[in-house]
Amino acid sequence: MNARRSTPRALIAWLGIVAILAAACGGTTASSAPSSAAAATEAPTASPSDAVIQTPVPGQGGLTSDGRPLIRWFVGLGTGERPNHIGVEQAVVDAYNADHPETVVSLEIYRNAVAYDTLATQIATGNAPDIIGPIGIRALQSFGDQLLDLTPYIGDVDLSEIPQGLIDTYKVDGKQIGIPMAVYPSFVYYNKKLFDEAGVAYPPHKIGDLYEGKEWNWETVAELAKTLTVDAAGNDATSAAFDAANIVQYGLDAQWTENDARAWATVFGGSGSIVADDGKTAQFPDNWRQGLEYYYDGIWNGHFIPAKAAVDGMSGGNTFQSGQVAMDVVHLWYTCCVYPAEGTPPVTDYDIAVVPVGRDGTTTGKLHADTIGILASSPHPDIAFDVLSYLSSSAELTNIYGAMPARPSAQDAFFTDLQASQDATRKTLGLDPMVIDWQVAKDMLNYTDTPSHESYMPNFQRADAANKALGSKLWTTTGLSVATEIDALVTELNGIFAE
Amino acid sequence: MTAASGSAAGPTIVERHGPRPARFSLATRESISGFLYISPWIVGLLLFTLAPMVASFVMSFTDFDPRSPGETTFIGFANYERMVRGILGQPGGDPLIGSSLFITVRFAAILIPVTLGFALGVAMLVNSTLLAGRNLFRTLFYMPMQIPIVASTLIWIGMLNASTGWFNSILGSVGVDGPDWLNNVAWVAPSLTIMGLWGIGNMMLIFLAGLQGIPTELYDAAKVDGAGRWSTFRKITLPMLSPVLFYNVIITLIGTFQYFTQAYIIGNGRGDPAGATNFFNFHLYREGWAFYDMGYASALAWLLFAIVLVLTIGVFRTAGSWVYEAGGDR
Repeated sequence: MNARRSTPRALIAWLGIVAILAAACGGTTASSAPSSAAAATEAPTASPSDAVIQTPVPGQGGLTSDGRPLIRWFVGLGTGERPNHIGVEQAVVDAYNADHPETVVSLEIYRNAVAYDTLATQIATGNAPDIIGPIGIRALQSFGDQLLDLTPYIGDVDLSEIPQGLIDTYKVDGKQIGIPMAVYPSFVYYNKKLFDEAGVAYPPHKIGDLYEGKEWNWETVAELAKTLTVDAAGNDATSAAFDAANIVQYGLDAQWTENDARAWATVFGGSGSIVADDGKTAQFPDNWRQGLEYYYDGIWNGHFIPAKAAVDGMSGGNTFQSGQVAMDVVHLWYTCCVYPAEGTPPVTDYDIAVVPVGRDGTTTGKLHADTIGILASSPHPDIAFDVLSYLSSSAELTNIYGAMPARPSAQDAFFTDLQASQDATRKTLGLDPMVIDWQVAKDMLNYTDTPSHESYMPNFQRADAANKALGSKLWTTTGLSVATEIDALVTELNGIFAE
Repeated sequence: MTAASGSAAGPTIVERHGPRPARFSLATRESISGFLYISPWIVGLLLFTLAPMVASFVMSFTDFDPRSPGETTFIGFANYERMVRGILGQPGGDPLIGSSLFITVRFAAILIPVTLGFALGVAMLVNSTLLAGRNLFRTLFYMPMQIPIVASTLIWIGMLNASTGWFNSILGSVGVDGPDWLNNVAWVAPSLTIMGLWGIGNMMLIFLAGLQGIPTELYDAAKVDGAGRWSTFRKITLPMLSPVLFYNVIITLIGTFQYFTQAYIIGNGRGDPAGATNFFNFHLYREGWAFYDMGYASALAWLLFAIVLVLTIGVFRTAGSWVYEAGGDR
C-alpha cells in the first residue's frame, strides 16, 4: 500500500467514525420487537418536549453562570402545570428577580404524570431543585425525608392566624416540612337545575340547619339522592319501576377521590386514622367502616352513587360537570372545573351546601392543603426560605390555583376574586352571572378532618397503594363484604408498616 | 528498491527507498478496520446496555432509594430472598410477585396463540388471489401500527367503556348485555387481548413475506396429488412457514413478558381493577418508581431476564422438531 494514499483514507475513516459515534450517542436504542405485544412494552415516557413544560435557567452547583445564587422552583407534583397557571407563575418569579437582582429564581414545570419520577431522578443524580410545590399533604409524604426542617426559619413568621392542627399536618417525625399556604375545604356542590326538575328543596347552607324538617345527615342525603337518581325512563330510585341498569342521572358522588378508601371513609364517616396511636399498628376505626359501608351500599344497592364504569362515561370522570350528578362532595379547587373550556355547559346553575352531619353528631369536611417545601440538599436554604415565603404569600398564585389562603385575613379578598373569575367564565359561555354562597366554604374550614385523611403512614408509598387497591375494589366489584375487605387491608397494612 | 553501498572494510548499509513493510498481516488489518467501523455500535452497547445491566445487577444487592442515594447499603441476597419468599407464599416475601407472575403467564398463554393465529389468518387472507384490493387491505391491517400505543389505548378505553362505548352499544343493539370490559376483573384480560389483536400488522407482514416465499410448485404438486385445503395448510404451508413462525413466537414471547404500556394506562398506574393488570413488568416498575425500592426492582428485572431466557432457550431447543430448515435433515 502506498503510504501517501493511505493517510487521507485513514483520516476520512476516523472522521466518519467520530461522526457516527456522536450521532449514536444522541439517539435511542432501536426497538427490535415487531409484534403488537412487544410494541406495547415501551414504558409510557412522554417525549422531553411533552414532559417538560418549562425548563430551568442553566446553572452549576447552585450558581448561575455569572456567579449569582440560583434557586430552582420545581412545579408539577401538585397543581401549577395548567396553561393558565404558567404565565402567572413566571410573572411572580420575574417580579421576585426584579426586586432581588442578587439572586436568580428559576421556574421549571413538569407534567404531573412524570414529575415524581423526574424529581426522584434529579435527587438521585445530585441535581435536585431547591423548592418544590405547590404540593398537597399526600405528595409531601413521598419526599418528606428529603425536605428541610423549617423550624429554625419559621420562628419569625406569624402563624397565629393558621390553626395549629393545620400546621401540625406538615410535621413529619418532629420535622416541620411545610407551612400551610393554601387550603381547600370540601362541601357539597349541587346542581340547581336537577333539584328544580325533581321539585325538591336545595340542601342547607348553614351547619345545623334542617332539611325539610329533618336533620341534614347522611341518611337524609341518601333519601334525597335516591329521589334525584333517575333512569332512562324517568323513574327515580325510590320507584318500583326503577331500572338500575339504565341510570342516566345520579343523586350523589364524591368525585376525583382517586380510589382513596381513606378519603371515602372520611367523607361518609368522619375523621379517623389508619394508624393507631402507637404509630406503627394499622387500624380502621368504626366510623370509617360505617362510612365505607354507606358508600359501597350507595353504589351497589341504593344505586344513587355511580360506580367506576358509570363515572368513566360522564365527561371522562368529571361527573358534576357532565350535568348527570345532582350533589357532589368535592373540594374548593373544583371551582376550576365545573364548566367546560368551551361549548354549552351541562351545568348552568350551581351552588354549594354544607356537608351532612355524621353518625357521631359531628360534621366533617375533608381538607386538602397545599404548601411549598425546601429540599434539604439546597445549597442556599436561607434564600430558598425567603423565596418560599414570597411565593406562599403571593395573592396572584393563590388566586390562579383556586387556593383559599390559610390566613383568614386574606380570605375575603380571595373569594371576591374567585367570584369574579367564575362570572368571567360564565360570560364566555353565554351564561349570566351567578352568586355562590362562599360563606359555606369559609364555614367548612372550621370542620376539617383531624387527623388528615392524607396523613402519614409508615412505608407510605406501599401503604397508600394498598389503601387505593381497596378503594378500587369497592368501586368496581359488587357482592363484596366490606368488613372482610377492610380486615384484609388492616392485615396487609400491618405487614407493610413492619417492613 | 534498494541500493546497497559499502566497502570491503565496513558493514553494508542497505538503504530503502520504498514503503515500510506492514506491521500486521492483511487479515489482521482488515479485522481491525472492521472493528473500528462497528465501534460506534460497540460503544453504544457498552454504554447503554451492558453498563446498565451491570449496574442493575449490583443494585439488586443493595437497598438503593433514588431519593436518598447516599444512604445506599449492601444487603446481600435480601432482595432475592424476598422474591423467593413471595413466590412461595412465605412470610416476609413480596405479596404481589406471585399474582403478577400468574397474571403475566396466563396472559401470555392466551395472547401468544391468539395473536399468532389471527395474524397468520389475516396474512393468508391478504395473500389470497381471490381477494380484490389486496394491497388496500394489507395497508389497512398495517395502519394501526402507526398509531402511538398510548393514543390507541386511550381510544380503546373509550370504545370499551361499559356505559358509552361502541362495543356495548353494538352488543346492546342485538340484545346482549355487554360486560364491564375494563373494570371487571374477569374481563380486563380479554379486553387487553382484543387490543393486542388490533396491533398485529407487523406480524401479519412477516407472515405474508413467509407465505410469499413458499414455492408454488409445492402447492401444484399437492393439488395434483389430490390434497385438500386443510391438508395443504397442515403439510405444506405450516412447515414451510415454520421458520417465520418460530421467529414470531420468540418475539411475541419476549414482548408479552415485558407487557406494560396498555396495562399501565388501563390500570391507572395502580394495577386496577383490583390488581388484575398488575403484570410482572408493571410490578417491577411500581417497585422502582412508585415505591422507590430500586434494589428490589433490579432483582425483579433479573428474574424477568432469567424467565425470558429460559423460555427462549426452551423454544430454541424444541425448534429442531418443528422448524423446517432448508438444506437440513428433518
